[in-house]
Amino acid sequence: MKFHRMKFPRGILALAVAAALTAFGSFAVRAQEADAPPRLSWSFAGPFGIYDPAQLQRGFKIYREVCSNCHSLKLVSFRNLADPGGPGFTEAQAAAIAASFQVTAGPNDQGQMYQRPGQIADYFPPPFPNEQAARAALGGKLPPDMSTLAKARSYEWGFPWFILDAFRMYQEDGPDYIHAIITGYTDPPPGFVLPPGGQYNKYFPGHAIGMPKPLSDGQVQYTDGTPMTVDQYGRDVAAFLMWAAEPTLDARKRLGFQVMIFLIVFTGLLYFTKKRVWHDVLHDAELQRPRAPTEYQH
Amino acid sequence: MSGYSTYKPQSPFMQWLERRLPIASLIHSSFIAYPTPRNLNYWWTFGGILTFMLGVQIVTGVVLAMHYTPQVDFAFDSVESIMRDVNYGWLLRYIHANGASFFFLAVYIHIARGMYYGSYKEPREVLWILGVILYLLMVVTGFMGYVLPWGQMSFWAATVITNLFSALPGIGDPIVTWLWGGYAVGNPTLNRFYSLHYLLPFIIAGVVVLHIWALHVVGQNNPTGVEPKTEKDTVAFTPYATVKDAFFIGLFCILFAYFIFYIPNYLQHSDNYIPANPGQTPTHIVPEWYYLPFYAILRAIPNKLAGVIALGLAIISLAFLPWLDTSRVRSANYRPAYRVFLLVFFAAVIGLGYLGSQEPTGGYVIAARILTLYYFGFLYVILPLLGLFETTKPLPNSISESVLREGSPAGASAPASGA
Amino acid sequence: MTDITSTSAKGGPASGHGEGTRRDFLYIATAMVGAVGAAATLVPLVDQMNPDASTLAAGGPVDLDVSKIEEGGQVVVRWRQRPIFVFHRSKKTLDTMQSSQMISLLSDPNSEVVQQPPYATNWHRSIKPEYGVLVGICTHLGCIPLFYPDASATTPVSNWLGGYFCPCHGSKYDPAGRVYSGVPAPYNLPVPPYRFVNDTTIRIGENPADSPAWDFSAIRQL
Repeated sequence: MKFHRMKFPRGILALAVAAALTAFGSFAVRAQEADAPPRLSWSFAGPFGIYDPAQLQRGFKIYREVCSNCHSLKLVSFRNLADPGGPGFTEAQAAAIAASFQVTAGPNDQGQMYQRPGQIADYFPPPFPNEQAARAALGGKLPPDMSTLAKARSYEWGFPWFILDAFRMYQEDGPDYIHAIITGYTDPPPGFVLPPGGQYNKYFPGHAIGMPKPLSDGQVQYTDGTPMTVDQYGRDVAAFLMWAAEPTLDARKRLGFQVMIFLIVFTGLLYFTKKRVWHDVLHDAELQRPRAPTEYQH
Repeated sequence: MSGYSTYKPQSPFMQWLERRLPIASLIHSSFIAYPTPRNLNYWWTFGGILTFMLGVQIVTGVVLAMHYTPQVDFAFDSVESIMRDVNYGWLLRYIHANGASFFFLAVYIHIARGMYYGSYKEPREVLWILGVILYLLMVVTGFMGYVLPWGQMSFWAATVITNLFSALPGIGDPIVTWLWGGYAVGNPTLNRFYSLHYLLPFIIAGVVVLHIWALHVVGQNNPTGVEPKTEKDTVAFTPYATVKDAFFIGLFCILFAYFIFYIPNYLQHSDNYIPANPGQTPTHIVPEWYYLPFYAILRAIPNKLAGVIALGLAIISLAFLPWLDTSRVRSANYRPAYRVFLLVFFAAVIGLGYLGSQEPTGGYVIAARILTLYYFGFLYVILPLLGLFETTKPLPNSISESVLREGSPAGASAPASGA
Repeated sequence: MTDITSTSAKGGPASGHGEGTRRDFLYIATAMVGAVGAAATLVPLVDQMNPDASTLAAGGPVDLDVSKIEEGGQVVVRWRQRPIFVFHRSKKTLDTMQSSQMISLLSDPNSEVVQQPPYATNWHRSIKPEYGVLVGICTHLGCIPLFYPDASATTPVSNWLGGYFCPCHGSKYDPAGRVYSGVPAPYNLPVPPYRFVNDTTIRIGENPADSPAWDFSAIRQL
């Protein structure tokens, strides 16, 4: 009994195809959990994209006036506001912003903790001293820290997007999601029962979000003529949070370009070196000589 | 490792050293004069790539350990401080995190190449088993490294993976408690994982030395699977293999750099940027991509103990390949039926990987079961039987002949060669 | 299998004429670019050991109210992780610092080695004579010198005139931080940059407004 070369494997292939089709069949189920966030165009997308300092400053204003009432930003320091590739505040401005916050310091000579104006090396003080205090003040809800939020949120795009996105350098699902949440408050569809204390948000997984609608048109004053709309607020604060989560993006892309150029040049040189080195082996007259099978014996 | 060398020390110092420690002639015979088959294709560069990646991971890892704090209250923040404050810390961490993925990418290609060209067959069984041990060590090291950032995925991966041992009847629970050093994953767990994550790469490096030693004893396989017969069949390792490896390492680095600099978080689950919370499990937990096929096998089986056994067996079985495969012909190029079954096997592993990333419901589970069945069916049914029944293509007389033939179907038929 | 280099021998750089130089150029260029890459790779690996951004930021200025230091007493604060001695010198101490007996014992009585900012290059090595501000790290091997402000026949050594004494290897300094001759420490204790924000508060880490921007790293040795 011998297998014929083509017949047998076809059965296996058919099985594999069937398995794959079964797998893709159930996509639609999960997609209903939440709407896909719209993909926006961000200044920091792509191989050369960097943050827009003016946008980060607007986003910071929103964080400061709105988000910081409930959300901490504990991994970000005031000095970061003056870092290159960031919101572009001067050291003096950053120090002034720091001084406008009260931070807990101490203990002093009497062993007491005390409040003092922030210094540039301090970190953004949290709105609540601990988790329990936050829950007590907010009806049992715990707002997440925002330091890494923009990298800690994503949307499962599924096949084939997850492959295409590698080529499109799509790394902005976090900001897209944050913008979507801020703009996604709507009335619940008929028949949707909101749990107590929940709001309806079409982009939130499960739709019942604990956070009340945080921003409305005109709520935060812009002085540079940028439209004061919820959509614009969402973009600006999402950009700011992306910077807070990934403050070295600017340096990364700058160094990345240099490394890429180097690697392409070096690999190209290695390719030609390899061709040179192997040239004689591949054009070996002795090897081309026809010979009898007996010549191969030891 | 010796025997190929024509090395004669020139300088008085090297002659002095040679009589006391013949390290120069060892290096010369292992990495310069060592004969390598002339017909190796680029799939053979992945051994060099893996050595390179091991070096990258050890160097960046040692450096990251200078800044990392293995304590549950500080681990997440110390990783973030590496990302934000340490000079080039973001670069080192992104290299190390993506380096794990690229290490596994290279090892999977390396394993697949070995399976395609029958590199595990006599006399390379020990070489192959050392390779499976290396892969196992990599799996353990990678898992422990993934726990260190102490994000949500870190914590719950540690919980789920250590709990696999609880399936063992009787001794399961004591083992899990022993692994944890507590009643749940906690600070002792993190601290010991850190210690072992630092240790294991050096064990890996040691086994790599054995792996290369075994390789240099039996010599490299090649795309024909026919052993070199004359010196015409081989070229010197340096410069031929070194420059070829270097070129492909360069190409590999371009892809690696693309991920590091442009999509550094693409392979990372976003939940791992949420600090570990022992009180809340993420809604959808998945391991890193390189474990997904085995994760799918685990979930495909509805019984806890059987699932864990299947998971372990899926990896361990690779070590038995030299005996499961009964064919005397090495290269799949001369085994048309095996070639198709093998490519379907590769597709099944990739398919399992995809299914491992999806929620285990409905059609996904059924598909995972079919592919799991094929995974083990290929290893334990198809491989042993195929060697007995298949018709193979005639082998070339020698490597040189196959180089000249360039794939044309001419050439005399030869029996399968195990020489 | 001994003659495996037969093929490589033919591929040596000497073969051919114009061919050979072009080949040499290619090999050299590849090696050079590779060497540049290897060197560049060392930059992050070395630089990561330098103080990180949070450490540098934490080295910001430190304020101290000197009016609370009693005469003859000393307060130690930390600036850039280092102990800073702030000594409220008494009239007696100032006299000792100027006495010819003391000056004859010193290695660098006129502070000629740059171990202090220009505004402290004077006989009292400070802005105001009654307040001494010193980095409390022995210039020998980094121990913290002990504070013995008063003259004593026995403590810490015989015929002590008052000043600082390092317990590690016996280096001696006068109350202005000037090192004795014949002790292991080579230089005077450093003076950090500082200024008076008002009459009673000093800010360590900032130069006085009327002084040029002076860099602490300009000192001879910490």
